[in-house]
Amino acid sequence: MKLASAIVALVVLLAGALWWVGQVAPESPIEVDNARVRLVPGGGPMAGYMEIRNHSDNVIRLVEAASPAFGNVMIHRTIVRDGQARMEHQSDGVRIVPGDSAVFKPRDLHLMLMQPQRELEVGDQVEIVLSFEGITPGEWPVAFTVVPVTSQ
Amino acid sequence: MIPTVARIFAVAALALVLALLAGCADEGWHGKNITGLMPELEFELTDEDGNGVTEAVFAGRPVAVYFGFTHCPDICPTTLARLAAASRRLPDPIREDLQLAFVSVDPARDGPAQLDTYTGAFSNRMLGLTGTQKQLQALTRRYRITYGYEEPDANGDYEVSHSSAIFVFDADLEPRLMLLDSLGVPQMAEDLERLLGSP
Repeated sequence: MKLASAIVALVVLLAGALWWVGQVAPESPIEVDNARVRLVPGGGPMAGYMEIRNHSDNVIRLVEAASPAFGNVMIHRTIVRDGQARMEHQSDGVRIVPGDSAVFKPRDLHLMLMQPQRELEVGDQVEIVLSFEGITPGEWPVAFTVVPVTSQ
Repeated sequence: MIPTVARIFAVAALALVLALLAGCADEGWHGKNITGLMPELEFELTDEDGNGVTEAVFAGRPVAVYFGFTHCPDICPTTLARLAAASRRLPDPIREDLQLAFVSVDPARDGPAQLDTYTGAFSNRMLGLTGTQKQLQALTRRYRITYGYEEPDANGDYEVSHSSAIFVFDADLEPRLMLLDSLGVPQMAEDLERLLGSP
């Protein structure tokens, strides 16, 4: 009986703790999922992909990205028109309304990661700092996983 | 007893469905059938070892050719990886038979060593090629495609626009199929198997 009471007490405590965390922990205004860098050998630029969700009540805008692992990072979109492919620099950044998300994916929006500063390997983590307008703080360091070039 | 008119309609509907299915079986490529629309493969280019080569390097076996550049982080690796994955799905002997080629339209940055490293990341069966502007223009004009360079930025980096489709040539080096960049691996593999599997 003693043991049963102890278990009940523990369960009640745990449930209370979970409820308290749920009440107190503020929801992160943004969430970045599936952040990955597709490894391209030869020292040329690589592409960074991810999904950014805007949980805040504000319109946010990704305006810039930078990384110690790359000399220069730009926000690009691949455009295919009449069988011709080109890239378009997103000079106004990427706007995300509340509740919406921006998906960076192959043949679409991507971070163009230029001048790799060191040899990367599949499985490495690289930090890319995303800079936003519309939320505080504006700078969000995100760990990107290096994936094989053959991954989609 | 089904009224005669209804039966006639049912038979007509069935006939229509069969005709449509037959039509699909005949022309149901995922890509674009270009048989007879363009001239056979012909070029003078430089390979990954720095040697001058012609179309004879592919003679006797089918080849899938993509035009791009190595400083292309998004669509080129995406398309080449799909092509390489599709070729790995093919049944023998066509998997062994099919050759893959990447023609860089950016010879200023893509020398033989750069091409060798790059193509090796996708498949050891992929040959990297490039050439002078004159050689590249002769080849791209032959297949009614273009490429161009945008203004360099402050770092000297520049973008290149290029054709997004893969051209598939048969063993006689006749152009047969254009695989669009929008196709997934299964669709590419289906088209390649259908084209190369039939004698």
